[in-house]
Amino acid sequence: MSGKNSMTVDEKMSTVKIKIDKEAHITVNKELCKNCTDRPCLIICAAENYKWDEKSDDLVFNYEGCLECGACRLICPLNAISWSYPKHGCGVKFRFG
Amino acid sequence: MDKTTCIVVGAGPAGSACALSLARKGIDTVLLERGRTPGEKKVSSFVLLMTELRRLIPDWEKDLPVERNIIRTDQAIFNGTDIKMITSYNYDKLKNPVYFSAFRRKFDEWFAKKAKEAGAELITGMTVTDLIMDNGRVVGVKIDDEELYADIVVGADGYHTKVGEKAGLVTEWDPARARLAVKEVLDLPPEVINERFQLSDGQGCDMGIIPYHFGELSIRSSTLYTNKDSISLAVFAHLGELKEKNIKLHDELEKFKEHPFIHKFIKGATLREYQAHIIPHGGRVNPENLYGDGVLLCGEAGGTTDTASGMGVPTCMTAGLMAAETIALAVKKKDFSADTLKNYLKFLDSTSILDMIYESKKTSDYWVDKGKLERPDCMAAIADSYNQYWNADYMSKDYHPLFLNLYLRVGKFFAPKLIRMIVTPILKGYSFYEKTVEKIKRKIRRRFYEWKKQYDN
Repeated sequence: MSGKNSMTVDEKMSTVKIKIDKEAHITVNKELCKNCTDRPCLIICAAENYKWDEKSDDLVFNYEGCLECGACRLICPLNAISWSYPKHGCGVKFRFG
Repeated sequence: MDKTTCIVVGAGPAGSACALSLARKGIDTVLLERGRTPGEKKVSSFVLLMTELRRLIPDWEKDLPVERNIIRTDQAIFNGTDIKMITSYNYDKLKNPVYFSAFRRKFDEWFAKKAKEAGAELITGMTVTDLIMDNGRVVGVKIDDEELYADIVVGADGYHTKVGEKAGLVTEWDPARARLAVKEVLDLPPEVINERFQLSDGQGCDMGIIPYHFGELSIRSSTLYTNKDSISLAVFAHLGELKEKNIKLHDELEKFKEHPFIHKFIKGATLREYQAHIIPHGGRVNPENLYGDGVLLCGEAGGTTDTASGMGVPTCMTAGLMAAETIALAVKKKDFSADTLKNYLKFLDSTSILDMIYESKKTSDYWVDKGKLERPDCMAAIADSYNQYWNADYMSKDYHPLFLNLYLRVGKFFAPKLIRMIVTPILKGYSFYEKTVEKIKRKIRRRFYEWKKQYDN
């Protein structure tokens, strides 16, 4: 991050209220990701939920911190990400949308 | 088996407007919302335009949850070192407010409550996961683990519409036709906001910012507007371009916040909430796909947002109202097939929505094809045309053209009439030459554009 006063994404995410669902609303076919050259999901997610683990050479994602924009679903070149609205009234709760 | 006449999926502006109108017509309506309260899933750069709402709810002034009455709109263009501003005040809006800044969380809840009071049944915290089909007809919805049957289902469930997808009406999920928005709501005391934006209590300012020559993105816009005791700052960029250039939009937002022009407004503010959302280009759905057997689409699900102006809430409300008119007709005929629901297009055509959908599609095509290339040039031309006032060097002797210089110096101050008589015809001849060249140039240009038009077709 640039600048002295700027917050990290994790700090910013602490301002967002999220009710966590037991059931994941994002599922990823990780086999496809290994052959993906661009991996645009890593840069497009505003909550930085997608990370590439170099050690295990695997995609790591965290559906719990989702802001529900669904950009990952649109941007995935291999359609590996299936994304749907969270159920049971769970997920993000914007107070000042 | 639970059965009702109409299920409206999504209690946003389109869904609530539709349910409100249906309930007023006495039609049994269930309004489903996946959030625990309406509006909590929604992010808008929300400046509410009153024209639609005023007609729908005449006594809105009593309890409409608004933040500030927007009387000033600013347009700022960044050009490298300079910033150009166009500020417009409208003091008429003090008496007749047209724009309000508001929070969707409060507004959507208020609007859904109005639908509920009119007689619609509001169910929250329930996500529609699938449609129940019977011979290609939509006959109901699956909500989490339950089933609910209806004669007609209205899909007003946002960009990632389940209704549109499962009914086979929405097929386009093109990242080039979607924009990502990252938004921050920043806490500031009301007095500080008033001072920085030069406003009085209750008055607001909405600023559109076009950061040309800032960062690497070619198409990007930003908006900054005032709430009662906070400022909303959002940055938008096309998904396709972010992917192409490998740029994180939230990093861009941080850089943007450090720009002196933005920083002077938000200095010392603390983050209240961090948000992100997808903004669709309008006209995503072909109007022929806005209806099907037992199903209608409106709002973002049906692409009834305006790409050119960026207006969403009022257009979605209008589309919702027209959906309600169509359903009222279908109930009268007791026929919910696509043949009857086709009238939706007629109702939409009686407003400006259908034209807007076509126009939005065109605008969207432009962005995808040429916008990326042309927009920066246009912005540069606008910004540079202002630059001449900054860069004119009046102290330098060679600023004026030679002949004009000669005339001004020789003709006005030193030379007698005789010299002027010689110089003037030369000057006139010079300008005649210039004009002729300009005429020929114009002719060539016109021919070129005619040729280009034929070529494009």
